[in-house]
Amino acid sequence: MPDQVTLTIDDVKVTVPAGTLVVDAAKAAGIDIPVFCSHPKLDPLGACRMCLVEFVGSRGSRLDTACTVRVAEGMAVRTNTEQVKAVREANLGFILINHPLDCPICDKGGECPLQDQTMAYGPGVSQFVEPKRHKNKRYPISDLILLDQERCILCWRCIRYLEEWEDKPQLGLFERGGETMIDTFPGQPVDAKTSGSIIDICPVGALTNRVARFRYRPWELKKTPSVCNHCPVGCNLRLDERVHALRRIVARENMAVNDEWICDKGRFVHQFVDHPERLKKPLVRDAQRGTLREATWDEALDRVVEKLGALVEANGPNTVGGIASPRVSNEAAYLFQKFFRALVGTNNVDFAGGSAVRAWPTGLSAITDIARSDLIVLVGFDPSEAAPLLAVHIKRVVLRKGAKLLIIHPRRIELAKYPGAYLPVLPGNEAALLGELAAAVQASKGVRGQEARGKQAARNPQSPGPGPQYPDVVALLAAAKSPLFIYGPDVARGERGRATVAALLNLATALGQGDKLAYIGAGANEQGVRDMGLLPDTLPGYAPVSDAAVRERLGKLWGLQPPAEAGQTCARMIGGGVKGLFVMGDNLAALPAVAEALRKLDFLVVQDLFLTETAQLADVVLPACSFAEADGTYTNLERRVQRGPQGIRAVGESKADWAILTALAEKWLAAEGRGDRSGVAPAAAPELPDWKRKKRKAKTGPAAKPWNYPTAQSVLEEIGKAVPFYATMRWEALGEGGLQWSARDLRVGVRDSGLSNTQSPTSNPRPGEFLLVSSPLFWDASLFMQYAADQVRQLIPAPFVALNPADLATAKLAEGSQMTLTSPHGSVILTLKADASVQPGTVWIPATLPGLPAETLGGGRGEPISVVVR
Amino acid sequence: MAEWEPVLLANVHRPNSEKIGTYLAHGGYQALRKALSMSPEAVVAEVKASGLRGRGGAGFPTGVKWGFLPPDAPVKYLAVNTDEGEPGTFKDRLIVERDPHAILEGVIIAAYAIGAHRAFVYIRGEFFLGVKRWIKAIADAYQHGFLGKDILGSGFDLDVSVHRGAGAYICGEETAMLESLEGKRGQPRLKPPYPAQVGLWGRPTIVQNVETLANVPHIILRGAAWYASIGTEQSKGPKIFCVSGHVNRPGNYELPLGTPLREIIEKYAGGVRYGRHIKAVIPGGVSTPMLTARQIDVPMAFETLAAAGSALGTGAVIVMDETTDMVEVARRITDFFVHESCGACVPCRLGGFRMLERLEAIARGRGRPDDLAKLESLARGISGLTFCPLGTGMCEPVLSGLALYRDEFVARLNTAAKR
Ligand SMILES: Cc1cc2nc3c(=O)[nH]c(=O)nc-3n(C[C@H](O)[C@H](O)[C@H](O)COP(=O)(O)O)c2cc1C
Ligand code: SF4
Ligand code: SF4
Ligand code: FES
Repeated sequence: MPDQVTLTIDDVKVTVPAGTLVVDAAKAAGIDIPVFCSHPKLDPLGACRMCLVEFVGSRGSRLDTACTVRVAEGMAVRTNTEQVKAVREANLGFILINHPLDCPICDKGGECPLQDQTMAYGPGVSQFVEPKRHKNKRYPISDLILLDQERCILCWRCIRYLEEWEDKPQLGLFERGGETMIDTFPGQPVDAKTSGSIIDICPVGALTNRVARFRYRPWELKKTPSVCNHCPVGCNLRLDERVHALRRIVARENMAVNDEWICDKGRFVHQFVDHPERLKKPLVRDAQRGTLREATWDEALDRVVEKLGALVEANGPNTVGGIASPRVSNEAAYLFQKFFRALVGTNNVDFAGGSAVRAWPTGLSAITDIARSDLIVLVGFDPSEAAPLLAVHIKRVVLRKGAKLLIIHPRRIELAKYPGAYLPVLPGNEAALLGELAAAVQASKGVRGQEARGKQAARNPQSPGPGPQYPDVVALLAAAKSPLFIYGPDVARGERGRATVAALLNLATALGQGDKLAYIGAGANEQGVRDMGLLPDTLPGYAPVSDAAVRERLGKLWGLQPPAEAGQTCARMIGGGVKGLFVMGDNLAALPAVAEALRKLDFLVVQDLFLTETAQLADVVLPACSFAEADGTYTNLERRVQRGPQGIRAVGESKADWAILTALAEKWLAAEGRGDRSGVAPAAAPELPDWKRKKRKAKTGPAAKPWNYPTAQSVLEEIGKAVPFYATMRWEALGEGGLQWSARDLRVGVRDSGLSNTQSPTSNPRPGEFLLVSSPLFWDASLFMQYAADQVRQLIPAPFVALNPADLATAKLAEGSQMTLTSPHGSVILTLKADASVQPGTVWIPATLPGLPAETLGGGRGEPISVVVR
Repeated sequence: MAEWEPVLLANVHRPNSEKIGTYLAHGGYQALRKALSMSPEAVVAEVKASGLRGRGGAGFPTGVKWGFLPPDAPVKYLAVNTDEGEPGTFKDRLIVERDPHAILEGVIIAAYAIGAHRAFVYIRGEFFLGVKRWIKAIADAYQHGFLGKDILGSGFDLDVSVHRGAGAYICGEETAMLESLEGKRGQPRLKPPYPAQVGLWGRPTIVQNVETLANVPHIILRGAAWYASIGTEQSKGPKIFCVSGHVNRPGNYELPLGTPLREIIEKYAGGVRYGRHIKAVIPGGVSTPMLTARQIDVPMAFETLAAAGSALGTGAVIVMDETTDMVEVARRITDFFVHESCGACVPCRLGGFRMLERLEAIARGRGRPDDLAKLESLARGISGLTFCPLGTGMCEPVLSGLALYRDEFVARLNTAAKR
């Protein structure tokens, strides 16, 4: 078959790839064929009959649907004949027969394909005077989506989306003939994690967003292309604003990232942006009353400069530090670490899940590589719960291209049902298992290599090594030509995490695929904040703090050099390592044990959207803007730097993170003598407090350069100078699709080569004890969920613990009963659930449930936690 | 022409005709032995040469369809269409109830020819006796070694199972039937790909009507040349005509294709009741356009009926005498189709329902002056534009009714106007 096919459509000659559908060929020829059921991302169906066109052949012409017929050489198509026009009119007439025409109150009105096509191709007047059929207009198909069965034109797009992209046939046609309608199956609401996509692709207003409905008229919206701030995929979306409120979020196509879909968190969880409880003014702790009261920005920032400065002055810069959230923009993260490194003079910067994870920092080679891979190895990572768009891409390659999945996880995650293999593993045993696999792969390769090398091997007999324990899995791995290895934070924390990552690297390398190993973090901008050096031991661009050349380079840029010794980790700072702490955007004190620790601080600054548990403990609270209110860039899990422009006016007096930091730095510099710290290692002059020593050098030593950032874009410009591989990341250059930095540009290795598995395997839990699994759940109780719309908030599950039904039976525990779970770190009371996906011997308490039960028991520490259930 | 000696219906009137013993006693399963001694390709060639065309309504050449199967497909299926839903059609039911082994033998030969090791019988849910007969016949065939492993020592394996439909006309359409067999909502699939390429559970599948399959053993046993000598140029072999309506002897009549419609009605079905005159005849089931009394000399063959502006369809001849109310005929048939529309595509789902609304109004004497124009415009917006032939078939009674008996519709409107 030739690759290209030439056909004529209305006398226009057009050449398109073989296999193209006639509708798409027409589009290429600039000819519009009206469609309803056809959608570029869905398989052809041919149900609505709107696209009927004439195919002219030797035996006369025939009508057929342009959305189902593929092009052929020499084909002649007519879309503008009287017959075609008549057919379109008739068909639109039929569709409108029962359509309620409640355009004036319909969310779709103004952006509705049915309206548009009726205007373009419809009959002028209605033939019918009969009453329309009435069906349910407010039919919930899930907690988030309402179906108006009267408006529905039964194009099946919603059905097909769920089937073809989610592999969740949760909607179907029910009844027959004129009574046909879309419905869910009894007792089974739509729960696909990207279910909201069907609202976007519905060609009428039949599916409505329960959070957003009736809050806008499409033509009144100001539409800002942005990126999602919920997970590291960084889906492209659009912020629709009107009168300073964020009315809704819809998906935006980016074929390199999210295709045309976003998940339900990205779409429905945005009420935090204009939530009434947003902080609108800075707060300071009243000296007399001891409570927080409103203050001006000047007062609040002066207080920070004064108090932090005093701590630095009295005890040295290393007694203060900063913890930021991995959600903040690159600009915020960059200025945050610069504030501490250049102005305060400490490397005490980190984020939760930052330095605790030793991960190769280049993420996924490319999201589009998923579609090209034939085997995806998932280790301790559940895309369905943690990054649903990745799950969508993975399901697609499995369903459409027959890719296989190898899943190594303590829980039988949703994706484990697909072809490939599922290896259950006890938490903490991942490294051992991966080691065995790597050895088995080596051994199997050795066998093949020996055959090839013939006698040479015979002369050089090597010990056969461990026999392949998992022949099927080894075969799966060996057969893969383009595998991807993906792991997540749950298996990468702490010493055990180091070992797991090393074992995984060994395995990937043994298969010659070392560059296909991807760590996927938890925070939306985790990649970016790492790139920015929001880590105690690495500078912007990943150079270790010990790298004198980079320190010098940064010193030239900043005026002052960062210190040479590594700063304190997040855990150490919280655990008493500092007296003054600046927390930007993370609600650390949600965990009572952390709150306890933070109370011991001399001074706490919190910059956030809400008066969180952490902010309540603060001495100064700085109201920050959400991602929707400020310009900023975010770097996703495939190193794609993407723009998140301001889409709505800042709430109250809140300011962008970068702007707050700039204002703070200006005040810091303005305060007497505070801009003159030299970069000399503090240990050099022990007789004087660090701070004073620098002060004395004021006249001659290097001075911090002024912080002159009128815009986020100007911060990004400086980032381009600080981080070599961000040099080309100019705001304009990023465009609406973002730019990826190349993993090859990252020359500085942080790959720990000498790692080996020194961890003893986790022993099977003793009777009555269980190992804690705290892998994430999509609908959790994270901060943004707590401030989401009611319809979303009710999706936050009541805290629970799930056990394998067999374990429940053995332990004579009843589902639904309340049990006390105790670990060395704490104890919680939870409702028991039976869940066959949970491995015997383990308990699953998802991360970030209300009250943080898993974290209270010690989950997320990177070590096996043994739990007693009573 | 000499009196036709029935071939397909040769057994049905024998006592205990459904029993395997009766079937065997009258030469049953001889064709199977012969076919198994031939190569599968030779069987396909024989059926192709016979000129056999499908009896389910579409009349597609059976041997040609078998040739469409991808030869290297590892798994292929045969699906037996016993849904018989077309109003006026009752031939398949007769064979299934009275001579199930005749079909089963055809099934086994066809499966052998196409290389299927699994056959699925899809049967209309209301055929309670037929279901029993199918199941019993299959069980007996297993007992006798005609089914299962290594059939009659040939090395050929075949399993057959029976699946009941839930009473939807559309499930007789082959792809809707496959959907239903897969446990899904019965609605047609997009073609191409045709079932012979992508069928049941994605496997190449041949769907065949019961009567079609019943022809196969005779073709094998007596040879393609004998078969091709029966009938007309493009319509070979015997056909069961189901005659119903205002005739004296309604029933199934097996005759060679090409037998004139008049002969079937007058000679075999005993003519019109009470000596009345014919007003209209539906020649091939209600989806086929009506013929008038003047057209009944047409030979009942695919090509001749097409030339007369109708179709052979299932060969279900519905005779209407001069007393027939043509408005009511159109209303009644449209009612059937509207009820049976699967609802998947726009014109059939929405247009049909509005057509019925108008017809009901006219029939009740409540029509409006522009109703006939409306009906025609509705039918024109449906006919030929639907996803599957059901929707198009739905328009036939309206379109041919209006074309041939318009005055009756007009008269009904006039009574309405007077009231
Ligand atoms: C709406 C509709 C209903 C049909 N119902 C039947 C039926 O009940 N029985 C049947 O054998 N074929 C029926 N057919 C024809 C089948 O689609 C198909 O053509 C036939 O089963 C093929 O077998 P044949 O080639 O042996 O005729 C129907 C077709 C349509 C469009
Ligand atoms: S709800 Fe919308 S997408 Fe779904 S079938 Fe109806 S019109 Fe199509
Ligand atoms: S024509 Fe009727 S029966 Fe056929 S697909 Fe369309 S709605 Fe279904
Ligand atoms: S767009 Fe082609 S049939 Fe619906």
